[in-house]
Amino acid sequence: MNQALNIVILGGGTAGWMAAAGLISLVSPKLCRIRLIESDEIGTVGVGEATLPHLKNFNDTIGLDEAEMVRNTRATFKLGIQFSDWGFQGSRYIHPFGTYGRATSGSGFHQRWLRARAAGCDWDIGDFSYAIVAARRNRFDFPDTRNAGVSSTYSYAYHLDASVYAGELRKLAESRGVTRTEGKVADVIQDDETGTIRSLILESGEQIDGDFFIDCSGFRSLLLGSTLNVPWEDWSKWLPCDRAFAVPSESANELTPYTRSTAVEAGWRWRIPLQTRTGNGYVFSTGFTNEQDAADSLLNGLDTPALDDPRLLRFKAGRRIVNWEKNCVALGLASGFLEPLESTSIYLIQIALMHLVPLLPLAGMDPRLADEFNRKINVEYDRIRDFLILHYHLTRRDDAEIWRYCANMDVPDSLKEKMELFGHSAHIEQYRDGLFTLPSWLAVYIGQGLIPTAYNPLADNGSTERLIADLEEVRDEISDRVDEMPSHSRFVERYSRMQQPWKLQPAETQL
Amino acid sequence: MSTRATSVAVVGRDAPLWIAAAAIQRSLGHLGVSVRAIELPSILQPQDVYSAMPAIKGLHKQIGLPENLAIAVAKAVPLVAQRYSNWAGASPPWMVGYDDPPPPGSDVDFVHYWARGRQEGLKPAFEDFSLAASAAKQARVPVYQEGSELSAAYGYNLAAVPYTSLLKAHANRLGVNVEAAAIDDIVTERDRVGAIVLSSGDRIEADLFIDASGPEGVLISRLPGSELESWDEWLPCDRMVVASGAPINPPPLYSQISAFRAGWVGLYPLQDRTAVIAAYNSKHISEAEITESLPLLARIPIAGEAIVSNLRRGLRSRSWIGNCVAVGEAAIGLDPLESLGLYLTHTCISHLMALFPVERNAFPEAERYNPEIALAGQNLRDIQCAHYALNRRFDEPFWDEYRDHTPPESLERKLEVFSLTAHVPLYDEEPFEEQQWAALLSGAGIVPRRYDPRIDVAPDETLIQKVQQRLRDIAIAVPNMPSADDFLKRSREELEVAK
Repeated sequence: MNQALNIVILGGGTAGWMAAAGLISLVSPKLCRIRLIESDEIGTVGVGEATLPHLKNFNDTIGLDEAEMVRNTRATFKLGIQFSDWGFQGSRYIHPFGTYGRATSGSGFHQRWLRARAAGCDWDIGDFSYAIVAARRNRFDFPDTRNAGVSSTYSYAYHLDASVYAGELRKLAESRGVTRTEGKVADVIQDDETGTIRSLILESGEQIDGDFFIDCSGFRSLLLGSTLNVPWEDWSKWLPCDRAFAVPSESANELTPYTRSTAVEAGWRWRIPLQTRTGNGYVFSTGFTNEQDAADSLLNGLDTPALDDPRLLRFKAGRRIVNWEKNCVALGLASGFLEPLESTSIYLIQIALMHLVPLLPLAGMDPRLADEFNRKINVEYDRIRDFLILHYHLTRRDDAEIWRYCANMDVPDSLKEKMELFGHSAHIEQYRDGLFTLPSWLAVYIGQGLIPTAYNPLADNGSTERLIADLEEVRDEISDRVDEMPSHSRFVERYSRMQQPWKLQPAETQL
Repeated sequence: MSTRATSVAVVGRDAPLWIAAAAIQRSLGHLGVSVRAIELPSILQPQDVYSAMPAIKGLHKQIGLPENLAIAVAKAVPLVAQRYSNWAGASPPWMVGYDDPPPPGSDVDFVHYWARGRQEGLKPAFEDFSLAASAAKQARVPVYQEGSELSAAYGYNLAAVPYTSLLKAHANRLGVNVEAAAIDDIVTERDRVGAIVLSSGDRIEADLFIDASGPEGVLISRLPGSELESWDEWLPCDRMVVASGAPINPPPLYSQISAFRAGWVGLYPLQDRTAVIAAYNSKHISEAEITESLPLLARIPIAGEAIVSNLRRGLRSRSWIGNCVAVGEAAIGLDPLESLGLYLTHTCISHLMALFPVERNAFPEAERYNPEIALAGQNLRDIQCAHYALNRRFDEPFWDEYRDHTPPESLERKLEVFSLTAHVPLYDEEPFEEQQWAALLSGAGIVPRRYDPRIDVAPDETLIQKVQQRLRDIAIAVPNMPSADDFLKRSREELEVAK
């Protein structure tokens, strides 16, 4: 019907190769041809070592074998993120990849937990989340989705070497017909009248024509930002961190099935366990410290010896006001930046791709396709933004300037209202689109010390004795089931060693 | 906790009043919340009908009303689809059924296979792939079938007067206190309702007032910031007329909605009669003319009088103000098209329950309720507006005007994106899932230019098989469903047993 759409992806790295592998797998070659331009001279950022559970979905969709991926990327498994010293010094909680209570508990679980609390049961809400309990005990196993038991109430992500992951995607993409061209862009040719991008001129002089361009050029945002001049919306007044040092260190003896995030004097530190090393970093704000002090702080805080010198990254929180302009879509860092506090970078690439595929301009360019894409992406970005700001804002720390600033800053109204209503009646807004759902908001609110003064009166249905007995039963069931799981280290070792781990039966994993 | 809201006064009439009172009483009555219903004179006529989409079953469960009792008392007939005719020139009628969405994580929606088929010159209408539409055409009720891949839901057409009496008795039984005296005065204090003074001299005070009085909004309209934002430009019918027609035997399991030059007329089958509603624009047809031509338009004999009333279409800028919460038509005025009235009330109540105040002197919940209800209202309006905007009755001034009028931005996006991609953008608080929207938009004549490219990855034979499989699944499933007679008979038997 139409000629195949010529898609040019500018930039390799995680975003570029996810786009290439995703498009070549999801869209018939009759409909589009995909070419990726990258230069080995330009390094990739590749900080995105911690992922979210959605990534498994992406890999399954494009047919990337999980066992192979885990083996090659030296991945470990992740059940959530542990936040230390965020709400107040000495505090610690886990944001789980899972729900609270039973699979059938629904959105009212925390209301009932609050009722029990009001009745004198001072229970840690974390004890009611399977993912949290397993994470605390360093256990891991795949969820058991055959029935709706407590071990079906969680999902998992990976800690992985992002550059190896990109390499895996590249292998897959190239084997399916994506053409890779080595080179740097020297010039961009636009249509005189419409301003749409027509070609990229490489330093070699080669001209690459395209119908549709995907800008994965990283922070430079060469096409969407520099060429099409799409303005930047700055969020640094809410998310003040603008630098990060990253450094690998030797692997720890015990692999935690969670990422650690520790709030410190001018930002926060991450710790991500891989099979063969530990990824560490310090995200900080130059408004509150300097680079030298930050590097020292990071190195002094390592719990295993450093394997390299710290590498500095500069960034600003925010996004382009639109991510699709004319015939160009930006993915990854070219589209915007949110610090890795909740491991959202790879997710944002993935969700953008999944929104892009159904809207690809296969029957001709139409601004309304771009408009719908931008609406969806902005909803994603804005809701994640609010969730990240919550971590900074909901704090009682007054030992450092950054925390005093964040506690007192004026946050977006959308967040202010959410917090107020949760504090008032434990209500959590639910929405159709957007990454973080009820359990995520709940984990951070409670974990950082916002305990509602009241709960929905509907939770008062049923006798208190029965409520307490029921909650105790769930808690004990979770605890018992978690005790049957193998340790995370052992699971990883065994899973990576097996030739055909997909034949692993749930019973066998209980070593 | 000692400052919890413990007294609720619901002011209103007819089904919304009793639904609101029953819902609150049943959930919170035994927890120390007293519910008082202040009943305004009914505006229902014997001719009236409540036409309810499938969510009504959830509502009945919520208030604990036995389904079979409602069916028997309200002479209800299952509602499996809406059938639209004469909305698009000589085009054949189309159905909007209540197919359930595919299970999460499954393939792209079937509408894309249909859209692709259309591009390759295949004839079937989208509704041929709809279990609900097929069931409706063959007069079968899509009850749950074990092991079936496809499933659909159904609602009911209910005779309004007996249904309302049943709801009232039910609310009473649950423990709602009923005040039938007229209202003498409503005392407001700034943005709060202070008290309602009854003609009996009683002064009703409450922590929370619910306004279920319909478009009038007897309480909410007294409070500052409740003005109605008009939707007249998008919902063109300003009058409706209800009447009663002869029963159709056996009763169709769909409402028949036919457009005519100045509006539309709908037939809503009940067990013992056919309720008739026409909505029209008074600039294009007079009251005398519509009542006179109603039998002709409805194509069934009309018994008794036809009753005309005004339609107020719009959204209150705030539906929850201070201690007063408007539900249903007190918050949002709609057109009767697509049977959304009870659903609207239900939606308001559900949001209210999720946001039920925890304190009698502070209501930050209102800041959440208001945008949620506004969005739900906008989505309901857009469903109705789509029918008007997509009409293809050319050279009739009424229809030409609303076809050419720019739809609301939220709807325009749906129409455009569907035309371009066969996907329907969905917002929060959507009453329809993608299936219903696709049925509506494709039925009204939009053939998408593209479809989801993911389906092209599979070889052509797979696609053909998939389409044939779907048709086969429907052909097998429908005859196994009960007919309306069987369904109603079983319902009566179950009711007997329950007694």
